[in-house]
Amino acid sequence: MDYLVAALLPQLLHGLVFGAALGLLALGLTVIFGLLGVMNFAHGELYMLGAYAGIAVIGVTHSFWVALLIAPLLVGVVAAVTEMATLRPLYRREPLYGLILTFGLALVFREGARQIWGGDMRRILPPVTGSTPLLGMTYPNYRLFLLAASSILLLALWLFFTRTRAGIVVRAAVQDAQMLDGLGVNVRRVFTLTFAASGALAALAGLLLAPIFTVYPQMGVEMILLAFIVVILGGMGSMGGSVIAAFVIGVTQSLFSLWMNPQRVAIAIFGIMIVVLVVRPRGFLGREGVLE
Amino acid sequence: MMLEVEAVSKRFGALAALTRVSFAVAPGQVYSVIGPNGAGKSTLFNVVAGHHTPDTGRVRFDGEDVTGLPPERLNRRGLAKTFQITNVFPEISVEDNVRVAAQSRSPESGRLASLWRRAEVTHLTQPLLEAFGLAGRREALARDLSHGEQRYLEICLALATAPKLLLLDEPTAGMTPGETREATALIRAIALERGLTLLLIEHDMSVVMGISDRVAVLHFGEKIAEGTPEQIRNDPAVIDAYLGGADD
Amino acid sequence: MRTVSWRAAVVFALLAALPLVPGMSKYYLLLAFDALLFGAIAMSLDLLMGYTGLVSFGHAAFYGLGAYATATLLERGVSSVWACAGFAIVVVGLYALVVSYFATARRGIYFALLTLIFAEVVYTFFRYTQTFGGSDGIQGLPDATLLPGVALDTPLRKYYLVLVYLAAAYVICRVVVASHFGRVLVAIRENEDRARFLGYNVQRYKMGACLISAILTGLGGGIYPMRSAFATPDLMLWTESGEFIISVMIGGLGTLVGPVVGGVFFTLLRDKVSSFVDWYFIVIGLVLIVIVLFMPRGLLGFRRVLGFSQWRANG
Repeated sequence: MDYLVAALLPQLLHGLVFGAALGLLALGLTVIFGLLGVMNFAHGELYMLGAYAGIAVIGVTHSFWVALLIAPLLVGVVAAVTEMATLRPLYRREPLYGLILTFGLALVFREGARQIWGGDMRRILPPVTGSTPLLGMTYPNYRLFLLAASSILLLALWLFFTRTRAGIVVRAAVQDAQMLDGLGVNVRRVFTLTFAASGALAALAGLLLAPIFTVYPQMGVEMILLAFIVVILGGMGSMGGSVIAAFVIGVTQSLFSLWMNPQRVAIAIFGIMIVVLVVRPRGFLGREGVLE
Repeated sequence: MMLEVEAVSKRFGALAALTRVSFAVAPGQVYSVIGPNGAGKSTLFNVVAGHHTPDTGRVRFDGEDVTGLPPERLNRRGLAKTFQITNVFPEISVEDNVRVAAQSRSPESGRLASLWRRAEVTHLTQPLLEAFGLAGRREALARDLSHGEQRYLEICLALATAPKLLLLDEPTAGMTPGETREATALIRAIALERGLTLLLIEHDMSVVMGISDRVAVLHFGEKIAEGTPEQIRNDPAVIDAYLGGADD
Repeated sequence: MRTVSWRAAVVFALLAALPLVPGMSKYYLLLAFDALLFGAIAMSLDLLMGYTGLVSFGHAAFYGLGAYATATLLERGVSSVWACAGFAIVVVGLYALVVSYFATARRGIYFALLTLIFAEVVYTFFRYTQTFGGSDGIQGLPDATLLPGVALDTPLRKYYLVLVYLAAAYVICRVVVASHFGRVLVAIRENEDRARFLGYNVQRYKMGACLISAILTGLGGGIYPMRSAFATPDLMLWTESGEFIISVMIGGLGTLVGPVVGGVFFTLLRDKVSSFVDWYFIVIGLVLIVIVLFMPRGLLGFRRVLGFSQWRANG
């Protein structure tokens, strides 16, 4: 019982928080892919830029909370500009080009961050310190805050996608991008906004998780790889599947870390992906038949 | 019977695209499927061609149960399909388009030797190109063809695989009335010459009435009528479906 | 040979004569080695990218695995070039079989994602497994031998080794591209659905293309330790995959020859720019972006071989 409380439970909670962040990334990837037809290889870098933007804003305002507001907006703007300048011309071309382009973008963002802020690990101090006794253990307050914040964020997103007109349209368009033409919406603006919003969410996740993990230019790379696995597991094109798979992977990763070193954990997660692909090739909630 | 569709049903989520549709096509027949938009004609085609697996019911092709087989296996058994939206290989030449279709039936196909051998299929491609008037355009890229020519190329590709049954999904879509007449006559002639069985989806009534031996009418996923073109033309249920309530 | 033009024969003759150029020092000869090796790998990637339309973000894994295969043999005293090459082919072939089976199960983007994920796992495995030297890899390897007593120890001999490899790879690629199989690959690139409805088992063809490309790349990787005397996990980094891709893009997709030149160009460029190591990756990223946006036919402007015009030209 002690073990359960002292070790498993905290890891479970860590896993949920990490899964939420992964979910934000994977959701962004799925929406961008469904709508724009581009798999954004640079998404991990948007996550990373969120953390660095946070560092920059904190440096000026000395407030984490202000950074939490401003940094995602900044990254959102960067994402919007990027989409307009580089992705838009590619929509009519073969998908191969979009892949290579976002790959190049990832390189530029990553190394650009390294140039600007250096390759050393940075720390962001948690805005909330101390810990609280909870269910027989003590849990860091910041992590409690994260749990609350990610729950609210996910709830807000769920409401957006199910209750607002814009959200319902986006959800439907992810399934079938053609339908946007018939709605009389400014498709280009929708694309740019969607890309910017996904980027901002990724940045938010990056900043929120930054006080727990260290901040360094490569931090987006591990996340994006996991996010890809999540997207594949959840079923390409399925938003719900992405979120579910994100939590599964997040919790699995967290729990496995109790017993294995990080490399083994990575290989184990990969193994799980392979098993799922063999047993159910379309993923958790993917559609029947070949990927559209 | 060349094709037997038995009580095929298919749902997509809450939408019942097909409900217990049955019909049979005899060898050498020209059989048309018509119906208002959304009636399920394309879904029916996709089920027969192996793109979708029906929820219930069976599909029999040339006496064998082929339900659920993927498109490439069906094609090898002699079932070819053209697409509603022109679906050719855009960046290669007309001749190469037909060549790659024809060579799928050459002896090397699917064997290790295909890694270094080239298939000799000119004797198959040439007659097809000539029949559809594309011989003069053989070097042009497929994407540079006119719409009508591309539809013809579409049919060439399907025919190059030497099918017994040809599924034509709105073959004259987007053609002018003149092109439509020409195309219809051409298709009929080639079908007769090669002993093909044709299954057609068409919106153009003149085409349907002109070349069909039998016609089936779909409405909201159900077959509401079947018979000769004359019988269908005068069937009150059919008239009702097209005029009353059926929206685009 | 019908598929290999006299132009190619001339080029190879010139390349064979390269060491005779005055001023060709050991340094330049080894640089030429690197350039031709890279070019050959870019060419084999073009088979997958340019002809079949599949982007492999994990090609470095094929390369690195080949290197480790050779390194493992050399380390244990098996120095025959033939044994090393054969072993590299087998190892990379098996890996490629597994990867391609999963990666070709669904449409294009799936392939890119899965090759990337597989490659990352392979990298992680080699980076953290002490049996293979961990992050240092396998170092201090002896030279390979062509025949007992004939060692490939001088830069000259190593250069000719890679030239033979390039020539063989080129011939294989040309034959495949002009064959029945090669046409189907192009058809799959142009319209996968249509190819399927023409009776082709598309997955099998994709797997075949991936296997050929991977094995050729793995062979190149197998040759690398014979020049460098080491094999490290860095060979399998995704950035390495990116460099292969950029070489193909520079030269021009779907031309075979273009990527060879692209690979050579890139290697020489990297050699010159290596002093600006800091900005190196930013430059690569920017070049990729610029090429995709403005010069999809390749920096060097090689005409994309649309369809099968080489066949026609040769009869």
